[in-house]
Amino acid sequence: MATATYVEEQRSTDKTALITGSEAIAVACKLADVDVITAYPIRPYDTVMQYICKLVANGEMDCEYIVAEGEHSQFEIVKHASACGARVFCGSSGVGWMYAMEALTVTPALRIPMVAMVGNRALDDPGAFGVEHNDALTVRDLGWQLVWVDSAQEALDTALIAYRVSEDRRIFLPCAISCDGAFLTHSQALVKVPSQEKVNEFLPRYNRADLLLHPDNPITVAPQGNEDWVMEIRRQNYAAMERSSLVLKEAYADFERIFGRSYGNPFFEEYETEDADIVLMGMGTLSTPVKVAIRQMRKAGKRVGFVRMRWFRPFAAAELAKSLGRFKAVGVIDRDYSFGSPYMSGVLTTEVRSALYSAPGSKPPVLGFIAGLGGREVTVPDVEKVANSVYEAADGKSQPLTQWIGLRE
Amino acid sequence: MATYIQIDPTQKLDPFKSVKKLPLEEYFTSGHRTCQGCESALVMKMMAKAAGPRSIILGSTGCMYVANTTYYSTSWVVPWMHTQLGSSGSAALGTSAALKVLMRKGKIKNEPINVIAFCGDGGGADMGVGAISATLTHAEYNSLILMYDNESYANTDIQLSGSTPWGANTTFSSPGKVKRIMHRRWKKNMAGMMAAGHPECKYVATICMSYGLHGMNSIRKALAIGGPTFIHSLDPCPKGWDYDPYLSHEMGELAVNSGVWPLYEVENGLLRLTGRTEQIAAGKIRRVPVRDYLLKQGRFAHFTNDDIDYFQSKIDDMWEKWLIPGVIPFRRDVEADTPPSS
Amino acid sequence: MGRLYAIEVIYRGIFQKQLATRITRSIVLAAHEEGKLGISFGRYGDSPERNGIPAKGFAIVADDQLTLEEGMAKYEPKEVDVTIAVDDTLCKGVESWAWYGLQPVNKLLKPGGTLLVTSREQPETILQMAHRKETPYNLAILKGTVSFSGLWVYKDDHTDVRILGAIAKILPGLFTLKSVQKTIVDQWNDSVKAESAARAYERISSVAVRPDQGNPETPYKFNFPKWHEMGEGIAIPSIPAGKAIEDPTTHESGGFRPDRNPTFKKYTTRTMRPVVNFDTCIKCTLCWLQCPDSCFDVTPEGLYDANMQACCGCGVCEAVCPVKDCVTMVNETAFEDNASQWEAWRKDKKGYEAWLADKIKSRPERSHGFRYRGQYEEQVPEMLEVARKG
Repeated sequence: MATATYVEEQRSTDKTALITGSEAIAVACKLADVDVITAYPIRPYDTVMQYICKLVANGEMDCEYIVAEGEHSQFEIVKHASACGARVFCGSSGVGWMYAMEALTVTPALRIPMVAMVGNRALDDPGAFGVEHNDALTVRDLGWQLVWVDSAQEALDTALIAYRVSEDRRIFLPCAISCDGAFLTHSQALVKVPSQEKVNEFLPRYNRADLLLHPDNPITVAPQGNEDWVMEIRRQNYAAMERSSLVLKEAYADFERIFGRSYGNPFFEEYETEDADIVLMGMGTLSTPVKVAIRQMRKAGKRVGFVRMRWFRPFAAAELAKSLGRFKAVGVIDRDYSFGSPYMSGVLTTEVRSALYSAPGSKPPVLGFIAGLGGREVTVPDVEKVANSVYEAADGKSQPLTQWIGLRE
Repeated sequence: MATYIQIDPTQKLDPFKSVKKLPLEEYFTSGHRTCQGCESALVMKMMAKAAGPRSIILGSTGCMYVANTTYYSTSWVVPWMHTQLGSSGSAALGTSAALKVLMRKGKIKNEPINVIAFCGDGGGADMGVGAISATLTHAEYNSLILMYDNESYANTDIQLSGSTPWGANTTFSSPGKVKRIMHRRWKKNMAGMMAAGHPECKYVATICMSYGLHGMNSIRKALAIGGPTFIHSLDPCPKGWDYDPYLSHEMGELAVNSGVWPLYEVENGLLRLTGRTEQIAAGKIRRVPVRDYLLKQGRFAHFTNDDIDYFQSKIDDMWEKWLIPGVIPFRRDVEADTPPSS
Repeated sequence: MGRLYAIEVIYRGIFQKQLATRITRSIVLAAHEEGKLGISFGRYGDSPERNGIPAKGFAIVADDQLTLEEGMAKYEPKEVDVTIAVDDTLCKGVESWAWYGLQPVNKLLKPGGTLLVTSREQPETILQMAHRKETPYNLAILKGTVSFSGLWVYKDDHTDVRILGAIAKILPGLFTLKSVQKTIVDQWNDSVKAESAARAYERISSVAVRPDQGNPETPYKFNFPKWHEMGEGIAIPSIPAGKAIEDPTTHESGGFRPDRNPTFKKYTTRTMRPVVNFDTCIKCTLCWLQCPDSCFDVTPEGLYDANMQACCGCGVCEAVCPVKDCVTMVNETAFEDNASQWEAWRKDKKGYEAWLADKIKSRPERSHGFRYRGQYEEQVPEMLEVARKG
């Protein structure tokens, strides 16, 4: 199941390390000189906190490393630290993330920059440790920037980008980096660790500016507001999230310039789409079996492509619709569920459909597939099964709008 | 001996000598919309006066959030930030940790800044007790958590909390035709619990701002001693307790003089009964009957004489049977507790 | 479309919460006796109520369901047939704790509508307080001691039913006295209360108020900023610290006046205000120290001047003052402005002495609420007596 990503050697001073996605984010925290970090145990995310503990103990990192008494406090502590101008890091998984929900709600409302790692995990019950995306997705409407990565390298790079965007005065919104449990959090891969100089050049110091809570800047933060004020306050946060796409593009461009590594389109990755008839979509590490399956199907003459959503918030609806308009049909693989949703589809499927609905140009049919729940393996045959159904739809044959893949039935 | 804990310097805050020597400046001022005669607003005013201008104050949800700061308006002169109902402990910890590390790294000027997080009895004795307890174990972070206790969720409509006295009328315990006493739990002993359970916490005290100088000096001590500290303030609430606001000051005096509210401090593990309570314990003054306190409050208007006697007997126990009178409810011998049938 | 009736009750938070609720509920029930439909509600923005802070309750009644929905479609009525002020000091205006600006007591009154006030004062006194209104309206005074009680213990002094009786006379189309009395007996099974309603019905009379009558001041207004004019992160500037005070005669400065909140005032949140005898003050600091509203300005000579922007009239200063009649709470109706007492005293001590004596003389007993068990039972007979005399 390991998804060791092969990192192409580059001419640079970077060191190559064999580390997990969690460790990669821990390294990013060290490079970003994070000030306050709060930990609380829950698998799989907590591996990042174990690595950070060692970094602090070994004197490689100088920060306040606080072990909280619960996720609610864990997130409240860093929220308040960030309000005082400290760069913060936090994280959780599954029901731990849900336990912190009140804090997760107020953090974007207060325009608090924060980077959090979500080690995606199935929600209880039955308390599976394996990956499911529902945990991180619960904050999708609240002003959190949400990104899914599919390699340890991308985890490290995205963490640096997340700090830069989250702490940009135009944004001041938190960012959650989703890493699939086990596939990323617990498997090691070769990762380019950039030099401190490059990171310093890329990532300016966090400046809380006019919103700094300090006796030299006497302000009152978050008094209780009634219906005379709430619309205006929400509208401000709407504007901040609107600006996020622009600031993200700037950050990725600078990242490429300074680190010599490019991610192309920041919002979604396209694989073998140039000549594709149909495309599959998904988030996170299922990209590996999908890409392998595509290579095999292409040998059999099937022109299948893949679009991996990286940024779920902000959601690049117009760009995605423009891209998907080129294909005969789209199959979205959700590693999540949304019971009772339109056509009972997963969250990503529903968002892709709504992105297409209001876009100009052609609208290919979108089939939803629910797979890999609770960490179940998404196999190459699973992916081929998905592709076949999408082909049927492309040929105008009626297909169910939501199908469960890899289910014993 | 090696020191494993690095406690940063605190401000030097000597006790105020007398009410005539108090600084004139206010750091919590007018404009709040609290009730007429709100003692909790008085606590905020005196707390800010005691702490002074180089302070950051965090306020968890409750009257002192909703009524003091209605958006676009504030009563605070010093920086203030809202925190969630159960988060006073976390807010104090996060703020203190940020100041500590930013000063150590030279990212902000190195100077002692007071960090105070306040909560009501709902936020403190109920929802936030876990976070407060955790913060009191983090000895390296200077902060004060002040619990203003008006003995109910007074902002949300006077619902009972873990700090509401036995039998009191609240919207969640209003007497009816069949049941007279709907609230049968005894008030939670927060200060005693915090003092007994957190050996690294250097200062815990109970105060009542009817004795303002005493209360302000406790706050100054708590801020100057270093590490996390806890103060439990009893605040008469004209709204929820249902008495004429002009009695607010007297109601606090009655709570102390009837022995219902003992004043004490635990400083570096040393227990000291303070103020009027010390005189009561020393037998210099007699406790006034609890009846005089209860019958001035509409929330006890449904009490029968049996109820009043029972309340008195529980207060007598606290003074006569507790191993540490008024502080820790450990006893030498077990006796049956027989509340009146409701 | 049938006829739509809207009635508002302006009351003191908590102290008159039960009273206001009884009135608005009974209006709907009495109208329903005659086949009308209605709703009764408190202004959500006033909740949670604060002791003494002005609040509002409404009753909306209509001949039929569709007409009622016309009224229900609004968050709260934009105009009313009758405004009931159950405390006469509310005629100075309404500043809800969560809302901005000062709303004149008669703001929502339709042309020709009626302002019904519970008071022992004469119309002249009421009109000194109520702001001027472009359109004429009527003022009716229900003679009686203002009824205050606490959250848990209701003072049953018949104010509720007397107001219902008065409405039957003021707004005959709404309901008859007969319906009012039936509702009273149905709810409280008390024929004496029904009689009180009838007496109020017979006694109540009103005077016409012209646009040129009333308090000429323009009430304090507040303009809401646009979303992009507001600071981000729900952050606002704190209040500046404040500064020393200048003596109006010597122009020396000293003492301290905290900066007052620019958007929240307490002009209408009090039913009493303290008057201070600066000649007998021993500077013990207690009024200043124990004031929950930080309302006392410290003068250069170390005296304490109650600032009427901030005072909500709780009376704690009087309670803690050790000197007899040094701080005295006086009925708010006795004042026409919010000027500094200390400045008046500095400018003219003799004149101030006379002014002070006059204010203290005209000081009626005003109980905010529950002081001791049995107090209400003692108060009620006297209040009923006042009501009976009319």
